Amino acid sequence: MTATENTQFELSADQQSMRELAVSFGREQIEPYALKWDEDKYFPVDVIKSAAALGMGGICVADDVGGSNLSRLDAVLIYDGLAAACPSTAAYFSVHNMVAWAIDRFGNEEQRKRFLPKLCSLETLGAYCLSEPGSGSDAAALSTRAANEDDSYVLNGVKQFISGAGAADVYIVMARTSEPGPKGISAFLVEKGTQGLSFGPCEKKMGWHSQPTRQVILEDVRVPAANLLGPLGTGFKIAMSALDGGRLNIAACSLGGARAAVAKATAYMRERKAFGKPLTDFQALQFRLADMATELEVAETFLWKAAAALDAKAPKAPVLCAMAKRFVTDAGFNIANDALQLLGGYGYLADYGVEKIVRDLRVHQILEGTNEIMRVIIARSLIAQ
Amino acid sequence: MKILAVVRQVPDAEENVRIIEGRVDLASSKLVLDTMDEYGIEEALRLRERTSEVEIVALAVGSARSEEALRTALALGSDRAILVESSEPLDVIAVSSIVAQVAQSESVNLIFCGGQQADWDSQALGAAVAERLKWPQATWVTSLTVDGDRISGKHDVDEGTETFALSLPAVITTQQGLNEPRYPTLPNIMKARKKELTRKKLIEFGTSPRVTPVGSSIQIKERLRKMLDGKDAPAAAGQLVDLLRSEARVIA
Repeated sequence: MTATENTQFELSADQQSMRELAVSFGREQIEPYALKWDEDKYFPVDVIKSAAALGMGGICVADDVGGSNLSRLDAVLIYDGLAAACPSTAAYFSVHNMVAWAIDRFGNEEQRKRFLPKLCSLETLGAYCLSEPGSGSDAAALSTRAANEDDSYVLNGVKQFISGAGAADVYIVMARTSEPGPKGISAFLVEKGTQGLSFGPCEKKMGWHSQPTRQVILEDVRVPAANLLGPLGTGFKIAMSALDGGRLNIAACSLGGARAAVAKATAYMRERKAFGKPLTDFQALQFRLADMATELEVAETFLWKAAAALDAKAPKAPVLCAMAKRFVTDAGFNIANDALQLLGGYGYLADYGVEKIVRDLRVHQILEGTNEIMRVIIARSLIAQ
Repeated sequence: MKILAVVRQVPDAEENVRIIEGRVDLASSKLVLDTMDEYGIEEALRLRERTSEVEIVALAVGSARSEEALRTALALGSDRAILVESSEPLDVIAVSSIVAQVAQSESVNLIFCGGQQADWDSQALGAAVAERLKWPQATWVTSLTVDGDRISGKHDVDEGTETFALSLPAVITTQQGLNEPRYPTLPNIMKARKKELTRKKLIEFGTSPRVTPVGSSIQIKERLRKMLDGKDAPAAAGQLVDLLRSEARVIA
């Protein structure tokens, strides 16, 4: 086999087209406004909804309910492309799609038909509620309760750091239905407007300003038993399974953001002069740029591998997803932070767009499971063998 | 009704190009569907959405890489595609002969092509095709209505805007303002791979280029990288206006 015939490390023509589509949509519909949204803390619901026409409301959802039926690897390319325009906005697509995917994967036919057509057309938006004020990394310790009463469940508790809360229409809520620990947790679909469902104030944050983060407060929220997602007691499994894909997606959002930061730093180095020469003539800066580009390529290649493993349902996939989330989000933040340094004082100014990327990417090391929890998952898999 | 939408693959204006031996190195360039041609595809799609029984055939004449432009046209919603492959560059008049022959063999009623090429700026293709077919043409169209075999619309002329009416078959050249082209959808990108794409050889059309490109000299503009000292603000503003007028030529 000659080098040109070896396509194992190349994307297919379709995959390249999908990434191109995401890049174009981001460049035309998101990037021109991203700094403004960041400044105004504006959630661009209209722009997000307009992406439904492209099939971005249910990327990995089956096509019988309006999904695009794509693979995890395809999805990674799409988030990467969107994040190059705005990591925060791209990350909301990831949250919404994680909710839609979980309903497609674990919902019964009635639930799929009830929720997915509108989620895929982005007529409704999704939110994922696992963390609580008192339980984050130790998610299985959650204390929100769901009490079975006749043919319904009554939910009480508070969910913390919920992306899209208040604006979203469909909430997947993990709640305790029996004993302590992971096996006592079940997943529920709660719709906005249900009596007793309310939201905390918008959190003040370092980044991710183009989407709201609020508490979801459940006070005697009664949902029909038909809104139980998956069998009783499988909520934690559903939550973790959704996070495998969610971790890939958030890593892809870091990758796209870092990609944009490298491009901005390179453009700046070509233009900026110091000591009579453009910055591109200084070897110390060349080396830093070279390292950033190398990290980016390595992160991308490994993310693709993890996504392909999840598509193949490889036993090692959850561990590879954890590794990818840890490595790519760390690399992404460091690359963006290095780009900021290369821009000097301008890197610190909002108008140049790099400090926003740094602020947006910082939280990717924390959410969808902190990078410390990723190390726990990885280490456990090694020690168990 | 059958519509022929002529498309071309051109370098992406958003990307840098590399110059090798005095020519733009297309092999290393990112190529995209010419935006001017996208308006034609979009208009054809809208006609199909309004009228029943419309078939859209996308046609490209050029290198093997033109297949990418056709795949985009298919992903946008064209029904099928024809690629007439040529390893050597063809002048517009040679291309017009091929377009006219395809239009006749396919019995199309309406031809869309971009008002102007994004790369070589030629505006001749639509006119040359209309001339060969002896069909009426409307160039630089900004709005279009089809009613049976009657077409009416508006187009730009030197003096301003003109409204026109003509009957099918006809050639329409498109431009910005005619519509807002849609994005392809993710599922349609996958489906495009399964749609029919017919490959034809140049020899089938008995056409050969009558113009041979001999060489080119390409203007390469380096950025000026000028920094104005802002300590004296009025003076800096004056210098900026001078530069915008004399160097950038963005103000008169």
